[in-house]
Amino acid sequence: MSGEAPRYAELAAATNFSFLRGASHAADMVRAAILLGHSGIGIADRNTVAGVVRAPAALRDLREAHPELADFRLIVGARLAFTDGTPDLIAYPMTRHGWGRLTRLLTTGNLRAQKGDCILHLADLEAHHEDLAIIAMPGADAALLARLSATFADRLWLGAGMPRAGRDARFLARQQRLATRARGPLIALNDALYATPDSRPLHDILTAIREKTTVPAAGRRLAANAERHLKPAAEMARLFAHAPHAIAGTQAFLARIAFTLDQLAYEYPHEPVPPGYTPQGWLTELVWSEFARQWGDTRPDLKALLDDELRIVGDANYAAYFLTVHDIVRFAQGAGILCQGRGSAANSAICYVLGITAVDPAKHNLLFSRFISPERKEPPDIDVDFEHERREEVMQYIYKRYGRHRAGIAATVIHYRPRSAVREVGKALGLTEDITQRLSATVWGSYASTYDRDRCVEGGLDPDNRDIARVNRFVQQILQFPRHLSQHVGGFILTQDRLDETVPIHNGAMKDRTFIEWDKDDIDTLGLMKVDVLALGMLTCIRKAFDLIHPDESPPVRAEPVEALSCLLPRRYTLANIPDDAPDVFDMLCKGDSIGVFQIESRAQINMLPRLRPREFYDLAIQVAIVRPGPIQGDMVHPYLRRRQGRERAEFPSPKPPHDPDELRNVLGKTLGVPLFQEQAMRLAIVAADFTPAEANRLRRAMATFRNLGQMENFEEKLVGGMTARGYDRDFAQRCFRQIEGFGSYGFPESHAIAFARLVWVSSYIKCRYPAAFAAALLNSQPMGFYAPAQIVRDARAHDVEVRPIDVNQSHWDNSLEPADPATPALRLGFRQITGFREEWGRAITAAAPFASVEQLARRAALPPRALTLLADADALRSIGLDRREALWEARRTPPDELPLFAAANARELGDEPHVALPQMELGEHVAADYQTTRLSLKAHPMTFLRSLFDGEGVTPCAHLHTLKGGERVKVAGVVLVRQRPGEGKAIFITIEDEDGIANIVLWERTFEAQRRAVMGARLMLVEGEVQKSPEGVIHVMASRVHDRSGELGRLSTTHRTRAQLSRADTFKHPQHPRNLRVLPRSRDFH
Amino acid sequence: MKVRSFDELRTNGRRQSSSTLDAARHIARDLAARLTRTGFTARLARAATPDAAHALACFACRDPRDLPIESLQVDPAIHTALHRAGLATIAALADRPRAPLAARFGRDVPTLLARLLEEEDARITPRRHVPAIVTERRYAEPMMTTGPLLGVIGELAGEAVALLDSRGEGGRRFGAALFRVDGHVARLSVETGTATRDTATIARLFAERIDSLADPLDPGFGYDCFRFVVLHAEPLGSDQRALEGEDAVARTPDIAPLLDRLAVRFGSESVRRFVPRDQHFPEYAATTHPARRVSARFDWPAPEPGEPPLRPLTLFDPPQPIIVLAQVPDGPPRRFSWRGDQHRVALAEGPERLAYPWWRHPEGEGPTRDYYRVEDEHGRRFWLFRHGLYEERAAPDWYIHGLFA
Repeated sequence: MSGEAPRYAELAAATNFSFLRGASHAADMVRAAILLGHSGIGIADRNTVAGVVRAPAALRDLREAHPELADFRLIVGARLAFTDGTPDLIAYPMTRHGWGRLTRLLTTGNLRAQKGDCILHLADLEAHHEDLAIIAMPGADAALLARLSATFADRLWLGAGMPRAGRDARFLARQQRLATRARGPLIALNDALYATPDSRPLHDILTAIREKTTVPAAGRRLAANAERHLKPAAEMARLFAHAPHAIAGTQAFLARIAFTLDQLAYEYPHEPVPPGYTPQGWLTELVWSEFARQWGDTRPDLKALLDDELRIVGDANYAAYFLTVHDIVRFAQGAGILCQGRGSAANSAICYVLGITAVDPAKHNLLFSRFISPERKEPPDIDVDFEHERREEVMQYIYKRYGRHRAGIAATVIHYRPRSAVREVGKALGLTEDITQRLSATVWGSYASTYDRDRCVEGGLDPDNRDIARVNRFVQQILQFPRHLSQHVGGFILTQDRLDETVPIHNGAMKDRTFIEWDKDDIDTLGLMKVDVLALGMLTCIRKAFDLIHPDESPPVRAEPVEALSCLLPRRYTLANIPDDAPDVFDMLCKGDSIGVFQIESRAQINMLPRLRPREFYDLAIQVAIVRPGPIQGDMVHPYLRRRQGRERAEFPSPKPPHDPDELRNVLGKTLGVPLFQEQAMRLAIVAADFTPAEANRLRRAMATFRNLGQMENFEEKLVGGMTARGYDRDFAQRCFRQIEGFGSYGFPESHAIAFARLVWVSSYIKCRYPAAFAAALLNSQPMGFYAPAQIVRDARAHDVEVRPIDVNQSHWDNSLEPADPATPALRLGFRQITGFREEWGRAITAAAPFASVEQLARRAALPPRALTLLADADALRSIGLDRREALWEARRTPPDELPLFAAANARELGDEPHVALPQMELGEHVAADYQTTRLSLKAHPMTFLRSLFDGEGVTPCAHLHTLKGGERVKVAGVVLVRQRPGEGKAIFITIEDEDGIANIVLWERTFEAQRRAVMGARLMLVEGEVQKSPEGVIHVMASRVHDRSGELGRLSTTHRTRAQLSRADTFKHPQHPRNLRVLPRSRDFH
Repeated sequence: MKVRSFDELRTNGRRQSSSTLDAARHIARDLAARLTRTGFTARLARAATPDAAHALACFACRDPRDLPIESLQVDPAIHTALHRAGLATIAALADRPRAPLAARFGRDVPTLLARLLEEEDARITPRRHVPAIVTERRYAEPMMTTGPLLGVIGELAGEAVALLDSRGEGGRRFGAALFRVDGHVARLSVETGTATRDTATIARLFAERIDSLADPLDPGFGYDCFRFVVLHAEPLGSDQRALEGEDAVARTPDIAPLLDRLAVRFGSESVRRFVPRDQHFPEYAATTHPARRVSARFDWPAPEPGEPPLRPLTLFDPPQPIIVLAQVPDGPPRRFSWRGDQHRVALAEGPERLAYPWWRHPEGEGPTRDYYRVEDEHGRRFWLFRHGLYEERAAPDWYIHGLFA
């Protein structure tokens, strides 16, 4: 053989998007092919093109660093696996038309199947054969080849492999004979499933997971050897020494494929533009007519901004995008659905005028050009949040307006999470359920992306044990693997032409939902347009609060001008017309009084408020962004606070001349020289470290997805090196990089922070001025936010809102407002607070009220016995004169298996019965029952009944904490409200509550690890520790010991008195409904 | 109602005689002792009804009235509801009218309550024992020789088979006990692979058994009593007789009788059968099991028509080292010497590459094997392999693993 290796390309390469078959990432396959000296690679996954976008993206990155790779060919297609017994075929589109055929073919198969499957028949391929080149994989017989040859003629190849299966040479000869007969050339391939042979064990694991068995038991379902990797071109030539034309065939094949993914040109849908207009022309017209309608000519500043923006939008050709978003938003406004846009393009005057956002950019000095840089050529980005309960209406509108064939939701690639990875790998390695359970249970929360030894030891498992170590190793490998596709929460992709000719479509888990195969990164890479239609609970809450504040006015159809009419009578609020300046609201926030407020209600945010002391709108944007792992890891929080409080001068490190000494001031001026936002990090890289916009973009992508974790090191060198070369301090440069790194998983951009800040402001305003309406709206929008109903109600009462109990004669389904003595109305709890109660029962009760007896209630509202029991259990019959116990006794009387009507008819018959003297219900029992049925109690706090017990132990009430000195030892006890561990934090925050107040507990990681059980398991907690006071007056208890005292809750109610009961050996203990077991609802934990 | 002491035992209100009480105490002590010996912790209680006894034991109470309402075996939701009504103990229920309880918590509640309070008893229906098949014969004159002995066993077996037939069963294990005049008892047992009702087969198996006894029967003064037992029986339908001429059609010979006979002679563990295992490595690809414990049908890989077999029928264990001349890296052997004989390879096919089952090895690695089927110039076919790739080890060894017939 000559020294020069022949040109070869592997045309049957799978990636890990061939779920549980491929064992390498697309990028690794491409890189390996290049390193092995291949002239190209063909990526074909099993019945999907979900992963193929990643290959060109990886190649593009490699080419940027190695321009000599320009000749490397990458072709994409799909391996078609049929359900009718046809052996696998690999199809590569030769042209753009062929791509459309392929995606429609896959769509046909996808839509025929349940979620995740693809049911394909050979006839489908024949119906979509145009411009597809086919490689028949080994296994195809003469009859099939003849049939394919009739359809595909010169577009048919016959694959041949050398799998080292014992008879390779004879098989090759047979393939050759078949090929000659079918007049399809032979093509050499290795059917690669992984990049390097050392991936065989991983592939075996995947096979075992796929076959739902263990590796030792999988037998011959595992591959016999490790041959299915990419092999060097020379090795392939050696293996095919007897058929060199098969090697040459790969080059001939590549030459026939003209299609690349770049050819997927995107066209905006035409609907939002009326005939006779260009998108830009219509946008201009729309903007100016809205401007004139709302402001006449009162706002020259806004006008100037609009002029400027319309020019930029025109240059970048973004008009159609704005119009598409506007179209959706207009529908929502017409239907009275609150919405608000955010994202890079959302902070524009255009969006403000068109009602997409309520943030006035002129007032807040936001420059559109700061958010959109034409040189970066990234598509504009507007995410629109809608009320979470009504987003479905918006989605249905989009489907209706553009048709299902042109609108689809993006996919989300579900990756292996540590828990699922441990469980499945453990199972595949044959570990028993209890061991894998224990292993996965030791992983904290779902966000941990590493698996550490100490956890293992703590779980009572030996990390050096062979099997455990293996689980660990494979879990690390599998962690970043895609597992299946799911639909994105709301990323819509809209096209002018058929969507299924661009990308295959799948059936979603929800009925009537379809989603496309690509996720948002893929869509970005390909430059397709996406509109995020997201659901936001706070918007629901705000709309409900507006309804409660002005119950008589229907929501305005269009956003009304802000300034005009503001002196008139109370007018319905909108997101835009809430006044911008209200010192009392800022005062409230400065006190850290923000329970229920959007975004800034978490413990960490509440602690930050008194230190940051927000006094204007932009402060709120900073407040939203600063309590994030990015700024925290980058150590940016304290410098910013010091500068803000005037204890340190805002400095802007300057580069050496001849560079502009003010270059950093321009980037970081608004945040006092401290980078807090994602955009600033990007600008910093461009301005101070000489990144090209494309590089900065790559940095952003590397930050956004952990799969590129390895690349970050290169960027560190480049950024720190670039900054020091320009004359910056190395330490400063490193801190900048650390923050950028922190943004990786939790980056927070300014463009989103500003939009959120508006909602922070609106919700704060309502909370401050209309506390009753705010609490009612929050309760009516559950589940949302950080706090459980009990805390929301408690907070409302702390703000002098009278809260009234649920009552059949007063309550509605929703929580409502009732006129009360002072100016503030009282909050009447609604039936929705009763766990398990149905809305239709609630409505029936309201319609049939009032009632004088249980019989009346049952008959007139046609309530089933279950509803009656729940009402009685919730103590909602007091106005009839029955307390909980009596009511229950009455309600139970209607036999549970009779229809309510008959039950009522029999009532008289049941009438006479001997008197049963029931014991009085104690208050403690009432409270426990309240919590069990409605998750809150207005009667008392559970801790009230335990106070004497804890007093004996020297426990300090939470409300007295402020009387102690910093550093003093203290014991506190209370019900656990929230446990938090921000980011990769070294500290765990716990909030506990007793009858008069709350206490914030901080635990260092070490203390936590030693007492994990108590910390994680306790509903009622006793903490020993030390008081810590910050200069701003924030009090913490630094915990040294934590005791789980949940058992004490049993004292409240006899139901939960623990007894030594032996279970029957012959009955299976069914898990009980939690309602019957718990005294207190679970805390809300965000790990 | 009076509070009763723990030791008092009552049935339907009638006081038991003290001897019955003593007996009950004795049983309880005995039971506790036995359970303790077996490693169980036992908590015993006695009451007039099983429900009450069970509840008293579970909740460690002495008086049914002290029981918590959880001792009522009803839906836990009813327990919660009763608690809500403030009724936490059986006493609280017992002291209140029962009708309202039934109206609210179901008719079961008063019934169960009555049982707990020992006012009413639920029946315990014993499970009936299916009598074993035993046939027996006594003779006035003892028998001194084996021949008649076998005759008697055959007759007894015939009677047993008739009983089996009436039950629709067939026997798998049979026993015979021969009682000698001087009190010695000889016990024999035989087993069949499938359930049978064939007297001749059974008799023959006993004959074989007696033949093959290591310690032959010593009639001494002779046997005068014989007992035949069916130790294990299984359902067995009636057999349909083959029609005339059907036997002529080639049927797979039934080897079950042969296996039974061999097993009687050599022990059932010694008669074994190959079973395929789903493994790539040839030495793991088959194993043996006692022939009568595995069914006869297996999916042995069928040889493809027109293809020579991929693997030989038998393997050398361990494989035998050979010296080979072959092309690097994975060319087939050209020449090899085995047991001093030189073989020149005329035809070869391979490699069939089998990677090491990494999960069996602590380090997760082991040599890959390349198997070749070769034919020497005399037409003899061998199965050779190279133990390791050249990438894995510098000079991999070669072995011969089997011969093709």
